[in-house]
Parts: sequence; structure tokens; C-alpha cells
Amino acid sequence: MTQISRRDFLKLAREGFLYLSAALATGSLLRFLSYAPASEQKTEFDLGSVDNYPVGSRTSIPEIPALLIHAESGFTALSLTCTHLGCTLEPNNNGFACPCHNSAFDAEGNVTQGPAVKPLRSLRIQITDENTIIAYTD
Amino acid sequence: MRPSFFHHLHPPTIPTEQARWRHTLGAGGTAVFLMLILGMTGILEMFYYIPTPEEAALSVQTITYHVPFGGFIRNLHYWSAQLLLIVSAVHLLRVVFTAAYKSPRRFNYLLGLALFILAILLDFTGYILRWDVDICYPLLTGTNLLKTVPFIGDFLHRLAIGGGEACTNGLLRMYVWHIFGLTLPVIILGIWHAFRVRRDGGIAVPPPQVRTDNARISRNELVRREVLAMFIVGIALILLSIFVPAPIAAAMTEGTTLAGEAKAPWFFLWVQEMLKWGDPFIFGILLPLGILALIALIPYIFPKPADSDIGKWFPKSNRLAQITIGLVSFIVILLTLLANAN
Repeated sequence: MTQISRRDFLKLAREGFLYLSAALATGSLLRFLSYAPASEQKTEFDLGSVDNYPVGSRTSIPEIPALLIHAESGFTALSLTCTHLGCTLEPNNNGFACPCHNSAFDAEGNVTQGPAVKPLRSLRIQITDENTIIAYTD
Repeated sequence: MRPSFFHHLHPPTIPTEQARWRHTLGAGGTAVFLMLILGMTGILEMFYYIPTPEEAALSVQTITYHVPFGGFIRNLHYWSAQLLLIVSAVHLLRVVFTAAYKSPRRFNYLLGLALFILAILLDFTGYILRWDVDICYPLLTGTNLLKTVPFIGDFLHRLAIGGGEACTNGLLRMYVWHIFGLTLPVIILGIWHAFRVRRDGGIAVPPPQVRTDNARISRNELVRREVLAMFIVGIALILLSIFVPAPIAAAMTEGTTLAGEAKAPWFFLWVQEMLKWGDPFIFGILLPLGILALIALIPYIFPKPADSDIGKWFPKSNRLAQITIGLVSFIVILLTLLANAN
């Protein structure tokens, strides 16, 4: 076994202690800064009575933002948040377009032009006993 | 004459050739002057600015329209910040085009580059502090971009805005990053950068044995030129601030959050344009970082300029570095114009 002098040992111990302390402090600081409080984001939206949305209607709900579609087969809701980087889509003749990076989607939410790759998200819809519509974003 | 404190901050003499305007363009000194103005006007704004989502935009309106000279102070802050980015870019180009980055100044080149990045981030966070309808998309897309980084994306997102929805609870962090988290490093690195200029032997010149002109000017002459530069830039800033107001838009309220300008602030337009090309992580993060790395590596991996070429415009021996940084600048300007056109 190689001998280590007292001087070298102390130097090693000192530096090791110093670097370890620095690493611990940095780690603690990053953990401190990366805490996120529990989300208070609303995920449940009361859209009012079913009667407000006749069959065939497509209604924009800006507060979600989403499009509520009442087809023959029932209610569906399409999220209007672009799947690329989160801007809100604007409806046009062929579907939806993103003002930020020019992504485009057809009326069913499929990508027709990049940079987005994922189709628009369908939101969960619930119709209560009182015939009001609830949309869930989670 | 014994030098005053201000004179004492300067070296006793510097080489005449490299002290000329046509050599330095006055860019580094102007950047220092602009940062001093930014510090002072920024502190004044803090007397009125309220960093809460409900009151931020209204307090900016108060500063702009009600506080005596408030609009002027805010305009000075705005225009100093925009000019700082331009002057810093000019400074960087000058350093590369005159081969001034050569060892022993390599490390200071990196310090300067870090300062440039910090200035861009400070400009962005300052822009966000307006908290009006026009800042939402840039903040949202910018912070969502952080989320696309593999493994540490969510961590970066929380570090930047504390998690959650950018346009409802990102303000406090943007504020603290702006006035403290980014400003403190700028002060420290800025002083370090200036110190290293002196420590590395002042402004870059060929070593004595290959120098053609050994004339030097005194610190009195240098200070006289600096005061002149401050005077000219100061007049330009005052005129700009009187005649061209800083942008301001309606406050964000329920429902208007996502109705604002979809265009990034001017210094990020080139990134916005690249984001249209495809995968956000590749085009919004990897590519800009790659360009940054390329610029940072110029003093380390590119052919070394000849000693006799240091401090001369466009010398042959660092052609590759000149072409590289020229090409990067050209592409960034082109993308900016392209993004601005659509």
C-alpha cells in the first residue's frame, strides 16, 4: 500500500470537505428553488344547460379554451390549446390555426400542418342529472 | 496631477493605435454606461412597480402616465436595454473581427459571452414584467419550451416560473430573476470582465517585438474620450426617450389572457422563426445552444491568429472565425427579418 503523508491527507480531506459542502449547498439551493406549490389551476368547467347547445352547434369556450361540439352522436369537446407550445388556436375555414408558429389542425383536431405533431386533445365531458355540461381539462 | 478616483480606474497609458474609435467602436465602454443607466432607472421604477398579477400592468401604467417624468424614466430604461443588446453584439463582433480573443484573453471572451446571454435574459424578463396582454404568448411558449428538455424540463420550468400556468403565476419569479437573480451575476461578471481586461494587459495589441507603432495616450485622454462617448450616447438616449415611447398594451384580465401579440420580442424573433421548422427541443433549444457553443469555442478550436495580427481589423490568420461569426450574424438577422415579415 502506498503511504500518504500527513500533509497530503489533510489537503485531501480539506478539499474533499470543501467540494462536498459546495455540492450539498448547490443541491439544496436547486431543490429550494424548484418547489412548486399544489396547482390551484381550475380543471372543471361548468358550461351551463344542454339546451344552450343545439344539435350541430360548435361553440367556442374561451375560458378553457375549447370547442364544444354537439353532433348527432352526442357532445364532444376539443381542446384549443396548440399541442406544439401551448398558444390558443384560432378557428378558420378549414379548422384551426396557431398564431405563434403556424401549426394547423382540421375540424376534427388532426394536424394538417406542422410544427405540431400531436392531434388536439379531446376533453372529458359529463352531463349531470340537471342536464348541465361539465368539461374536465385533467 | 494626481489622478482622481475616476481616472485611477484606467491604466496610466494605452496604445494609441488600439484606443482609436475606429478600432474599439466604443462598444465596451458604451455597454458599461448603459448598464449604469439601467441600474439607476430600474431602481427608480421599483419605487412604483407592484409585482402581483393583478396590479403589475396597472403600476406600469401609473409609472408611464401619472408619475412625473415616469414615462421618461421608463423609456430610458427600455431604450438602454435595447441598445445594450446591440452594443454588446457589436462588441463581440469587434473582438472576433480584430482577433482580440487570443490567449491570454480567452477566458475573458467567455466572461463577455456569459454577460451577453445574461443581458438577453434580462431584456426578456424585463419585457415580461409589463404583464400586459402582449407578453402572454412569448412567456407561455418560452416556458413551455423549457419543458421540452429531456429529464430536467419540468425542473427548469419550476426554476423559471415556479411551475403552473405561465400567464397566471409566472410574474413573481420573473420579477425576482430580473431585479436580483440575473442582475447580481451581471454585476459580478461585469466587474470581473473589466478587471480581466486590465489583468490581461489592457486592450488587445500585438506583443512589443512585433508592434509597428509604439505611441501611447494618457489616461486623461482616454477619460476625455469616454466622457465624449457617454455624452453622445446620453443625448441619443434622451432624444429616443422623448420621441419614441416604450411599448405598452392593455392589462391582462380574465378572458383577454390569450388574445395578445403572437410575436416574440425582437431579439427572440429568430428563435420563433426556427420553432416553425419542427421539434421544439431541437430547433428552440439545441440549435440556439449549438450556435452559442460554436461562438464560445472560437478561441479554443479555431486556427490561432498570428501575434502580429492581434488588434487589427479582419486579419488573414483568423479568417475562419470571421466567416463563422459573420455567417451566424447574417442568419440570425435574416431569420429575424423573415419572422417580422409574417
